[in-house]
Amino acid sequence: MTDSTEIRLDFRKSLGSFTLEVNCTLETKVSAFLGVSGSGKSTLLNCVSGTLTPDEGEIAFGDEILYKSAAKINLPPEKRRFGYIFQEGYLFPHLTVAQNIRYGQPNPRKYSDAIDVLEISELLQRYPKELSGGQRQRVAIARALAMEPRMLLMDEPLAALDSALKNRIIPYLHHIKEAFETPILYVTHAFSEAMALADEAFLIADGEIMARGEPHQLLTAPSAMPIAQLTGVENILLLPVIASDKVRGLTSLEIGAQSLVIPYIEAEVGEVVPVAIRAEDIIISLEPNLTISARNILLGKIQYLDVRSERTWLSILVEWHHLAVKITHEAREALELRENMEVYCVIKASAINRLWD
Amino acid sequence: MRITPAEVAALSLSIKVALLSLVIMLPPGLLVGWLLAKRTFPGKAFLNTFVMWPLVLPPIVSGYLLLILLGKHGFIGGFIHRVFGIEIVFSQVAVVIAVSIISFPLLVRSIVTGMEAVPQELENAARTLGASPLKVFWTITFPLAYRGIIGGTILGFSKSLGEFGATIMVAGNIPGKTQTMALAIFSAVHLGEDASVYRLVFVSTVVAFIALWLTERFTLR
Repeated sequence: MTDSTEIRLDFRKSLGSFTLEVNCTLETKVSAFLGVSGSGKSTLLNCVSGTLTPDEGEIAFGDEILYKSAAKINLPPEKRRFGYIFQEGYLFPHLTVAQNIRYGQPNPRKYSDAIDVLEISELLQRYPKELSGGQRQRVAIARALAMEPRMLLMDEPLAALDSALKNRIIPYLHHIKEAFETPILYVTHAFSEAMALADEAFLIADGEIMARGEPHQLLTAPSAMPIAQLTGVENILLLPVIASDKVRGLTSLEIGAQSLVIPYIEAEVGEVVPVAIRAEDIIISLEPNLTISARNILLGKIQYLDVRSERTWLSILVEWHHLAVKITHEAREALELRENMEVYCVIKASAINRLWD
Repeated sequence: MRITPAEVAALSLSIKVALLSLVIMLPPGLLVGWLLAKRTFPGKAFLNTFVMWPLVLPPIVSGYLLLILLGKHGFIGGFIHRVFGIEIVFSQVAVVIAVSIISFPLLVRSIVTGMEAVPQELENAARTLGASPLKVFWTITFPLAYRGIIGGTILGFSKSLGEFGATIMVAGNIPGKTQTMALAIFSAVHLGEDASVYRLVFVSTVVAFIALWLTERFTLR
C-alpha cells in the first residue's frame, strides 16, 4: 500500500456521556475495528464517512484532509467517495436492485463488474423487500462497490445474517479484498470476521483503542481474555494439520508438542486451519489419566483468573496458545485453582469447529 | 331544481382558491416540513410554533389579524397599496391568502410526519453514494414521504374548501366575487333558502368525498 491511501484518524466525538477518542493510522489494506456494541465503532465509521462531524481533531485520507477542526475543514459525505456498507443494508425501498446500484452513478463497466462479483444479475429487477437477507447484503455491497469508492467502510455487514449466510458472504468479501485496490475499514464485534479478512485489527472499548495488531495476535495475546469476554468470542486458534483420517472421521492438528483432534475436515497435511472452541466447552481437570470419551486432554498452565463476573474466566497457556475457559465459581473453589497452576483442558472433538475455508 | 349561476360561482371560486392555495403553499410547505423534520437549527421551536399558530387560533382571530395586516393602513397592505395601488382586502386575493394561512399548518404537519418516517440512515446512505442534500431530498426523502405529502395536500385542500372564519373577516362575503361555498351556505341559511342550502351542502359533500377517494386511489397501490 502506498502512502497516498494511508488513513489518519485523530479526533474526538462526544455523544451524550459517551466520548470516542482515537488517534491512529491505518496502513494496511483491510483494517478491522473490534468491539462490543456501544464501544464507539459505529460512531468512528460515521465520522470517517462524514455523516457525523467530530467535535475536534483531524481525519485525513492520504494527503487529503477530510476533516480538520482547526482549519474548519469538513468535507461532506458526497465529496468523500467512501462506499459505506451498513449492517441493515439500507437499500432504498422504492428503487429496484438495478436502480439502487445505479444510485451512485457508476460508469457502466463498474456497474456490471459489481453485479458480476456479487452474482446478483438475477435480482436486478426486484425490489429490496423481495430479497432475502443475504441477497440484500450482496446488493448493498455491490452498490457501494459500483461507485468506485476510494475506501470501503463496512459496519457489521454480516451481523444481521445467520452463520450459514455469513459463510457464504465472506468469500465475496475476500474476493473484493483480492480483486480491488480499495482499502477497507471493517467494523465488527466478531473476532472470526476480523481474522477472516483483516490485516490489522484495533480493539476498541468505551471509545478508546485498547490494542492493535494482527487479529490472531490480538486474540492470543495475554490481554485476550478480557477481550474475549468483551467481544463474546471464545477461542480461535490457527493450527497446522498433522494427519487426517477420513475413515475414522478425525483430523489431528498440531498444538505445540501436543495434538488436538477435531472432526474430519478436507485439508492437506501442513495446512493451517482456524478452529473455534467455546470457553464453556472446555473442562478443567487436575489429572490427565481420565477414563473419558473426550479425545483431547491438553496440558496447560493457568496464566490468569478473573472472578469478577458470574463465572470464573481462566486464561490457560497451552504451549504458546492462550485458551479462554469459563467455569463456575464452585468448580474453581472445589479444584482450588490458582495462577501458575498446571491443569488439563479436556475438550471433546465435536466441540471444535473449523471457522472458514 | 337547478343549481343557480351564483351557486356555480361560489363552488368554482372555492375549488379555484383551494387549488391555487395548494400550488402556492406546497413549495414553502415542503421546505418548512423538511426543515422541521430533518434539520436542527436555532429557532426551530419558534418556527414550528409560528407555522402552527393558525391551527390553534380561532380562524376569526387569524382573519382579523390578517385584516389589520393587509388593510390599506396595515403593514403589508399599506405597502402594496402605495407601490402597486392595489387593495387586497375584500378581493379574491384575500380569499386565497386567508385560506392558505389557515390550511398551511395542516399541510406542514402531514409533510413533517411523512418526512420524519423516512430513516435518516437511508438519507445518509444516499449521501455516501455521492448525492448532494438536494438530490437526497428529491430522490429519497420526497418519494418515501409521498403518502404524507399527498395526505397533507388533501387535508389542506379540504380545509381550504371549507374555510369560513378567516375568509369572511378579510375577504367579506361578496356574491360572485369573494363568496365561497361555505359563505354561500351561510348566506343561504340566513336567507332561509332551503333548496339552495341542500344543493350546496350536497355538492360540497360530494366534492370532499371525491377528493378523499382520489387520494386513497393514488396512495394505495
